[in-house]
Amino acid sequence: MRAGFSCPHHQVDPGTFVTTTIAAPSSLAGSQRPPGLITDRIVRAVVFVAGAVVLVILALIAYTMINEALPAFRSEGWSYFTSDVWDPAHSKYGTLAFTFGTVLVSGIALVLAVPVSIGIALFTTEVAPRWLRKPVTYLVDLLAAVPSVVFGLWGLLVLAPALPGFYQGWHDLFSGVPVLGSLFDGQPIAQRSFMTAGIVLAVMVTPIITSVARETFATVPQSQKDAAHALGATRWEMIRAAVLPHSRGGLTAGILIGLGRALGETIAVALVIGSSPQISGKLFGSGDAAASVIALQWGEASDGTYRAALIGLGVVLFAVTLVVGVAARAIVARADRNAGGTA
Amino acid sequence: MKRSRARMLVPLVLTIGLLAAACGSSSSSTPKGDKGGSTSPTTAAAPKLAAATLNGSGSTFQQAFDEAVITEFQAAQPAVKVVYGGGGSGKGQTDLQGGLVQWAGSDSTVKPEDVAKYKGRFLYFPTVAAPITVSYNLSGVKLKLSPQTLAKIFEGQITKWDDAAVKAENAGATLPSTAITVAHRSDGSGTTANFTKYLVAAAGPAWTLGTDKVVAWPSGTQAGEGNGGVAQIVKSTTGSIGYVDYSDAKAAGLVFASLKNASGSFVEPSLESATAALEAATLAADLTYNPLNATGAKAYPITSPTYILVYSTQADPAVKAAIKGFLEFIYADGQKTATTVDFAPLPKAILTAAKAQITKIGV
Amino acid sequence: MTYTMPRPSITRSSASPWRQTKSAVMTASLVLALVVAVVPLVLIILYVISKGWASVNAPGWFTADIPIFSRAVGPGMGPAITGTLMITGAATAMAVPLGVLGGIYLNEYSAASRYGNVIRFFADVMTGVPSIVMGLFVYVIWVLSFGLSAFAGALALGCLMLPIVIRTSEEMLKLVPRELRESAYALGGRKAGTIVRVVLPAAAPGIISGALLAVARAAGETAPLLFTIGFVNQANSDLLHDPNTALSTQIFKNAISVFPGQVSRAWGAALTLIGIVFVFTILSRIASSFLSRKHQS
Repeated sequence: MRAGFSCPHHQVDPGTFVTTTIAAPSSLAGSQRPPGLITDRIVRAVVFVAGAVVLVILALIAYTMINEALPAFRSEGWSYFTSDVWDPAHSKYGTLAFTFGTVLVSGIALVLAVPVSIGIALFTTEVAPRWLRKPVTYLVDLLAAVPSVVFGLWGLLVLAPALPGFYQGWHDLFSGVPVLGSLFDGQPIAQRSFMTAGIVLAVMVTPIITSVARETFATVPQSQKDAAHALGATRWEMIRAAVLPHSRGGLTAGILIGLGRALGETIAVALVIGSSPQISGKLFGSGDAAASVIALQWGEASDGTYRAALIGLGVVLFAVTLVVGVAARAIVARADRNAGGTA
Repeated sequence: MKRSRARMLVPLVLTIGLLAAACGSSSSSTPKGDKGGSTSPTTAAAPKLAAATLNGSGSTFQQAFDEAVITEFQAAQPAVKVVYGGGGSGKGQTDLQGGLVQWAGSDSTVKPEDVAKYKGRFLYFPTVAAPITVSYNLSGVKLKLSPQTLAKIFEGQITKWDDAAVKAENAGATLPSTAITVAHRSDGSGTTANFTKYLVAAAGPAWTLGTDKVVAWPSGTQAGEGNGGVAQIVKSTTGSIGYVDYSDAKAAGLVFASLKNASGSFVEPSLESATAALEAATLAADLTYNPLNATGAKAYPITSPTYILVYSTQADPAVKAAIKGFLEFIYADGQKTATTVDFAPLPKAILTAAKAQITKIGV
Repeated sequence: MTYTMPRPSITRSSASPWRQTKSAVMTASLVLALVVAVVPLVLIILYVISKGWASVNAPGWFTADIPIFSRAVGPGMGPAITGTLMITGAATAMAVPLGVLGGIYLNEYSAASRYGNVIRFFADVMTGVPSIVMGLFVYVIWVLSFGLSAFAGALALGCLMLPIVIRTSEEMLKLVPRELRESAYALGGRKAGTIVRVVLPAAAPGIISGALLAVARAAGETAPLLFTIGFVNQANSDLLHDPNTALSTQIFKNAISVFPGQVSRAWGAALTLIGIVFVFTILSRIASSFLSRKHQS
């Protein structure tokens, strides 16, 4: 047990003071209070309040945003979520096309980014020579720090103008094929489209997913890898047998973190999606997404219901990212428990 | 030893902070000295105004004009800081309602049901006018369009450039079979409001989307923010067509269509054809007017007015004086500036009425 | 971190040619993944440098006002640089002390308590809240009452930084060895004193590293600033009143333009912003390498 030997006044465990009563020390030696006790309590109170600020902010966000969005939910009812007619001039606020666009664009981003991210992470942990590992790690982390508006700028001015020819090529290549034919299409094929936004998002979330995947792969016990090698496995067989199964939880969490980032990304998407809400599986056509609508239409939303409808989109985004965040955390917790059990 | 290393970081961080502060103070103090010297002779006679800041936002249609005028005004009145943030007419109106700005730029009038949302009575000050061009990206074609065909293109009923309706109005032109990409505004826009207001008036039943700062465009279109954003799409996309203010379209090197006006002649957008349309318009008591779909052989049919909105009551005397000074400047030197950035100055009748209205501020 | 040991040499000889080929192909595809992702990313940065270099090198780029007439060609991003540093600085001044205190609470006072777990859980959740939501939130609770200002932007960025700082501080405090605390207690230190004099200095490099990463992320944010700081051409050194501007919002505004002057200012602002963000990221790396050296010794 720890005790204050240097100071004769309080040869008691500091913990007991806190749990028992504050009257005890003052009665000990008249005016001479133990010097650290009050400070201890104040510090405890201060850090407690600091921690609680998080809860206060989240509660305030939820309360104020839902409160502000209520007029839209009230006037539109369920059609706020199920209708795709967004016509502020006639006070119709259906958000389905925006949620569709957000989900589609994030989906494209993940389809493109996940295999690449896992590949890079496997390369840095299992394949690369040791001298190369740190530089690659640093590089990827540095790229994760590039602001999203810079990706947006590049996407708008460099990537988007270069894409239609490529899209046209794909369109011509698959024009007869049943599903792919209509997927690789647009009406018309546009520079700023679902696909362009998806590509820009993929470039953005790749460093994020990569760093989580790398951390996960690094936790695979060396003994398991050695065992696979000892059984005669090639490098790829070792990765499939030892590394990937062990990392399933961590990878899922990393993908969900990337998804959360893609769902909420505003500026990069707003610049390259085309801002034309539609529910269509034609990936090369323009669309719109929830976060970009808020950013682009916020300024003119003078009408109460209009503004409420945009804040309502914020509430939807908030709720979706909460669900994704909670899921990611739950998976990490389970993966931690599993890793703890096997290691 | 180890701790001292950690502490070395603290001065490093502090240094960055100090550098930041140094940058801040130097950049905020330099500019005024630069500009004081270049005061133009015509405005030197005006009394110097007290220090005030006039924040403004709104219409990007008038932005180039406002920016040019502000640059000159600041040279004449260095103590007054005038800011124009653009963002669209909708944003200007909303910001004025919220008291975030002292003045708003708007090309459209405030809807009657919104008037109650303002923090008091506000005044319209018409500043300049300009054509809204129908700009397109088709090499080697000089396009002529009737309002009906224009409406069908923007509604998505005509999807190819070699459509029969377009061909009929452009006999002799070689129209490609390229798909038409319609470009419009993503933000709430007075340009959209005036463009659609024109289509409602001129195209009749062919136009079904109505008129407002935001309309429900058909899917498959492209949207850009501000007139600059639409110009950017038209400039970079082959086969595209969009509506852009004359000043931006001209400066961006876009090609515009001639439109069939109410008198049946095809007119190209220009300052002269805009002035012809303005002269036909009648001024309302609140100084709003409607030059859209004007008659006259030389009148360009989509000529748009543009206004500055200010509250008539101004609590801060310095701000009041600054607003009055700024408006007076617009109606004097500003009208000359207008043509240099491709805006049409106001006709005499409107100008006189607008000048007279300045006295209503702060009464 | 574990490092692979030298591999047993039997792998090569015992596997069939088909399996060896497959492994080689898959290994090659991992290298390809690296190329596919890292090469474009590096190209973006090189592109920004090549496009922005001329703007940034023009005299007055860091100090002159942003041209009022936006079609004008030429420099001036001074107000945006000042604005970004002011807003990020104010956000840091609010979020970092609060976040470190919160981290101390989580690690030192409530390690396994239920309440601590609740805060930890929600701090994690808050990390994922989209930045645009923070912007809307600050607009509703602050801008509607007090107007646009750098401070409003700082509030939004502070909300983004807070959970990051809390969680990294907690993780860094966790790394401080138990023995260090116990010896401090043995010498008669009380809890608060021990934390301030022993635990925090030991964790300082890690905490600074985490804080700098949070600063880097905040400095590049755009969406929350769109609703909170407004727009100006001349520097506004008043934190609390009147609109301001920032590099990120300037990039957004100038990106949407056909005029060469604006576009080149957008690239220049992008290069400047990347420079600022990278400085903080690299400082964070330096700070954390202090920490790892500490642990090795």
